[in-house]
Amino acid sequence: MTLLGEIVAVLLTLAIFSFLYKDNPAYRFAEYLLVGVSLGYALPLVYKNAFEPFVLQRILVEHKYIFLIPVVFGMLYWFRFSRNYGWLARYPIAISMGMVGAGVTMSMNSMVLVQVRQAMIPIENFNIFLIFLGTITVLFYFFFSKAHTGAYGKFSRIGIWYMMIGFGASFGYTVMARISLLIGRLQFLADTFKGWLA
Amino acid sequence: MNFIKNLQGLDRRYVFIFIAVAIIIPLAFPFKSVTYTTSPVESLYQLIDSYSPYVRADDLNNDGIISEEEVEAFKLDRAIFMDFYHDAATMPELFPMEVAVMRHCIYRKVPFFTFTILPTAVPLIEEALSVVTEEIEKTGRVIERGKDYINIGYKPAALYLPILLGMGDDIAAAVETDSDGNRIENLPMYRDTAIRNYTQMNLVYETSGNDQGLSWMIYARPRFGVNVAVGLTAVMAADQYPYIQSGQCVGMTAGLKGAAEYEKLVDMFAMNNINYSKGQLDDPTEEMLANLDITADTVPTEFKMARLGMNAQSVAHILIIVFIILGNIGYFLEKRKQNKNL
Repeated sequence: MTLLGEIVAVLLTLAIFSFLYKDNPAYRFAEYLLVGVSLGYALPLVYKNAFEPFVLQRILVEHKYIFLIPVVFGMLYWFRFSRNYGWLARYPIAISMGMVGAGVTMSMNSMVLVQVRQAMIPIENFNIFLIFLGTITVLFYFFFSKAHTGAYGKFSRIGIWYMMIGFGASFGYTVMARISLLIGRLQFLADTFKGWLA
Repeated sequence: MNFIKNLQGLDRRYVFIFIAVAIIIPLAFPFKSVTYTTSPVESLYQLIDSYSPYVRADDLNNDGIISEEEVEAFKLDRAIFMDFYHDAATMPELFPMEVAVMRHCIYRKVPFFTFTILPTAVPLIEEALSVVTEEIEKTGRVIERGKDYINIGYKPAALYLPILLGMGDDIAAAVETDSDGNRIENLPMYRDTAIRNYTQMNLVYETSGNDQGLSWMIYARPRFGVNVAVGLTAVMAADQYPYIQSGQCVGMTAGLKGAAEYEKLVDMFAMNNINYSKGQLDDPTEEMLANLDITADTVPTEFKMARLGMNAQSVAHILIIVFIILGNIGYFLEKRKQNKNL
């Protein structure tokens, strides 16, 4: 059974890699299979871990009928498929958006206020100076109410360099990530073939 | 010169072949390479290690001798929480770091919880647990589910925020059951210990291919003071550095490199049951070095996957750099020729 699983995994990996040569039916088969398997795997898991304990158990066994309210709201999503009653689907969406909105204050604290506070520390070493310089020059660059000319333009240009270095670092990491994925698959193929030969 | 110019029009499929060869050869014939550790990884290792009963019992007695009773007693009020937020697509980068962190916890007797809101992450958690527990059980130690660790398993995404906030009061009330349907309050790791909320479970280690770790930094850290660390794909690493700098994120393992660094620390310290020490990291003993040779069989393949991968990564990077340089030379030569013709 393990061998069968390994053969299927190897064939599907090779099918996906075949796209590097050109698009072909083997690649498309593997791609569609991935989507189908992911969905097929998730459905029973969601039923067992979400629908059973939070709907069936609560309402039919524990008789907590208050759970009918979120169930009804959730079911309103299905009206998206109706031309006449599609507007009903906006209510569960509105509730979801409200939940997102509830997190705005917390996000402001963690993503803005704390970051700003940490940018206001004493310049005790060269690294902190670089962070200070980068923060100021990038902020100047995004200040569009004044023409970027003269000394102001030169100063804001330093901000562009900071951003370019940032983009370069991100791109370098991206290359590393993509190569890592290839390494993972090739490691799998190499180990599997080694196992078959042993 | 024509060769360099011709590289401009080289069919991309040749580039794929070169890259594939550059990766396959180091994987087939591993070589010794040095893995340098960085401070975000060291900080994470150090924090998890500080939860170890070995470290804490040692600190108490200050005699270097730790009895099993002392270890068991100190195991009762510290734990970490591992949140898996990824599927098999990012497994090559994230799986080795998850295995390394779990291995660290198991060897140093730090209890841990595993959790996910992605159905496709469920088999990954089970796989990581089985890889780690199978290895340690070969030494004769029995790892008990529910006692050494609790696999909470999959919970619906709609419950993410309620669980995240609820665990600030009581873990058992927030998650209710583990992956096998057992009530958390009946499991020894909860029932027989003082582990109740973020006060004891003071580190969340979140692995993902996006910025999901921010949820913990936004909601759990300001409100409950829980330490948050992230394990990320390399793509996301650059975005997370501001949170490391601000102290909102206490540690980070980024991509295959981060995983390789953590693997190294585990092999150097945890596998020798030695407390983390920066001095020994810079000046390792012979015993430590023996565990670091990835070409030898002393470390099973599944615990050096990232380091073996980093060998291939280094060769591939060199090849890419060469291609970039050649491509640019070709571009400038072509441009000069065009300027001359004008």
